[in-house]
Amino acid sequence: MTTPFLHINGLRKVYGNVVATDHVELAISKGEFMTFLGPSGSGKSTTLYILAGFQDPTAGDILLQGRSLLSTPSHKRNIGMVFQRYTLFPHLSVGENVAFPLRVRRAGKDEIDRKVKKALKLVRLDGFEDRMPANMSGGQQQRVALARALVYDPPVLLMDEPLSALDKKLREEIQFEIRRIHQETGVTILYVTHDQEEALRLSDRIAIFNKGKIEQVGTGPELYANPATHFVADFIGDSAFLGGELAAIADDRATLRFADGEVLAGVPLHGTGTAGDKAELMLRPERIELAAGPGREGATLPVVVEDVTFLGNNSTVTARTGWGDALTVRLNFGHPMIGSVARGDRLHVQWQPKDAHVFVKP
Amino acid sequence: MSIIRLALPNRGRGGSGLALAMPAVLLLLAFFVIPVAMLLLRSITEPEPGLQNYAALVGSPTYAKVFLNTFFVAGIVTLITVLIAFPVAWALTIMPRPWAAVIFAIIILSMWTNLLARTYAWMVLLQQTGLINRILISIGIIDQPLQLTNNLIGVTIGMVYIMLPFMILPLLGVIRKIDPSILQAAALCGATRWQALTRVLLPLATPGIASGGLMVFVMSLGYFVTPSLLGGTANMMLAELIAQQVQSLVNWGMGGAAAFILLVVTLGLYAVQLRFFEAREGTR
Repeated sequence: MTTPFLHINGLRKVYGNVVATDHVELAISKGEFMTFLGPSGSGKSTTLYILAGFQDPTAGDILLQGRSLLSTPSHKRNIGMVFQRYTLFPHLSVGENVAFPLRVRRAGKDEIDRKVKKALKLVRLDGFEDRMPANMSGGQQQRVALARALVYDPPVLLMDEPLSALDKKLREEIQFEIRRIHQETGVTILYVTHDQEEALRLSDRIAIFNKGKIEQVGTGPELYANPATHFVADFIGDSAFLGGELAAIADDRATLRFADGEVLAGVPLHGTGTAGDKAELMLRPERIELAAGPGREGATLPVVVEDVTFLGNNSTVTARTGWGDALTVRLNFGHPMIGSVARGDRLHVQWQPKDAHVFVKP
Repeated sequence: MSIIRLALPNRGRGGSGLALAMPAVLLLLAFFVIPVAMLLLRSITEPEPGLQNYAALVGSPTYAKVFLNTFFVAGIVTLITVLIAFPVAWALTIMPRPWAAVIFAIIILSMWTNLLARTYAWMVLLQQTGLINRILISIGIIDQPLQLTNNLIGVTIGMVYIMLPFMILPLLGVIRKIDPSILQAAALCGATRWQALTRVLLPLATPGIASGGLMVFVMSLGYFVTPSLLGGTANMMLAELIAQQVQSLVNWGMGGAAAFILLVVTLGLYAVQLRFFEAREGTR
């Protein structure tokens, strides 16, 4: 096996008796855009801070091109970082902020001028050299921070929720810029966010963090189509979970019995279980069809409509099964049933068994 | 129409504002402006009209030494206070809250303790047979007790102690506003601890150092109790000179001239600080 560019090897961090990260294992290739996605307190930021050298791990190692980084202090790691808060030096102009990493490295004047110019051009802020950070918008400040983090050509760039303080429109604009900069520079990026949309938009691969552990690593489509756990299914995309129990298992397919006795066979199973175990059926809203009566093909369940919400390009129908679990169905604009569906309607939902997933409850 | 209607209440408010400020203005006039003006007047009229009091102060080596002592001690005290207060303020910022609160309370309490009591305490500690000399002798650093009172060393030690809170408080105000992640950013940018201190932390703390430094320097220039108790008669400072002229010699002219020079120097320093730091605040 070849040595990975960046190897996070069995990283574990314990504060007192709280385990912040536990056996985090990840191999990142050169030039990859890897996002750590998870709720707050899931260990994604702790992992990033250990990479930055702000914290030491309790166990495990971080290897960059095969060499451990742990004994190297932050200022010698040569890693770039953009923070959640605006961390430009308020007493220095934009140009001096970007020049700072070169000045502390005692670079020559010509080199500093040339690289600062190049970095500011990269983030489309050429000509802003003499501005003070306080006279810039939040989005501009984060772009300067990006220029400052890239001006010394670090092999790895860390980004800790850099857009969380910005409003939605600006966030999307800068996401686009980050993608462009990643493509232009080819720098390896580790990006932390709790926003699944941001993660899907930016990343080559996503590592889903939960309770200090990585639940699953994969590309956006992989995670969406084949979530390994209930948590991943819940975190990436909208999904409905219907409770039941395992009736039978054959290979990686399960037969599920719902609370009202309804039985469903041939659903992809995740995790291990035996007949009689509690399990959940996961359905994506766009994979569910709404119909007046039971269909002939696939799986079907009777439901009662609870609410209909018009959202422009689609309408969301919330319905409840006979035993009380809620699920949503998305009807694209133009669907014949839009307009006729109303609260209290008794309808059927249908789907293909292969589009559903069964997760065994622990 | 609308312009008139808008303008009238404004003018009314302006007039009543001046009326509201009158008590304060009268108070300042009666208790500050008039006495200072009288002092100035006496310094150029007593014993006879002219600038001979100022000429004497500037010309005589005795008085020159008093000015030199005063500015030298005030300068050294300011410098040492900055050197001690900066790490203290930084430590108070980064240490756990409960500890910081305790240490902060100790600093404030020392400020509230009677000044004479604190100065006498230093006299006891610093004298030939005092605690400090005895400790230094017993651990073998010195053979003979050091002369720590009745000279400028004693004055400096006592003044630094008394001035420290006046430096720590403004510094703390400025340093607490600095986001610690700015220093993390500096570290990842490649700055060593020393570079982060000199290139980021110190420049950001400069307004606090300037306002604390000005306060300590100006207060030190006019300080009376500590220099007179710890300094002895041979090392007179300006406040002692003024007291001596007015109380012992009943020479209001000379005392007034010295006090006026002190006032002018103080106002001058204040103007410099305003110009440099207020202007910089403005461009932010």
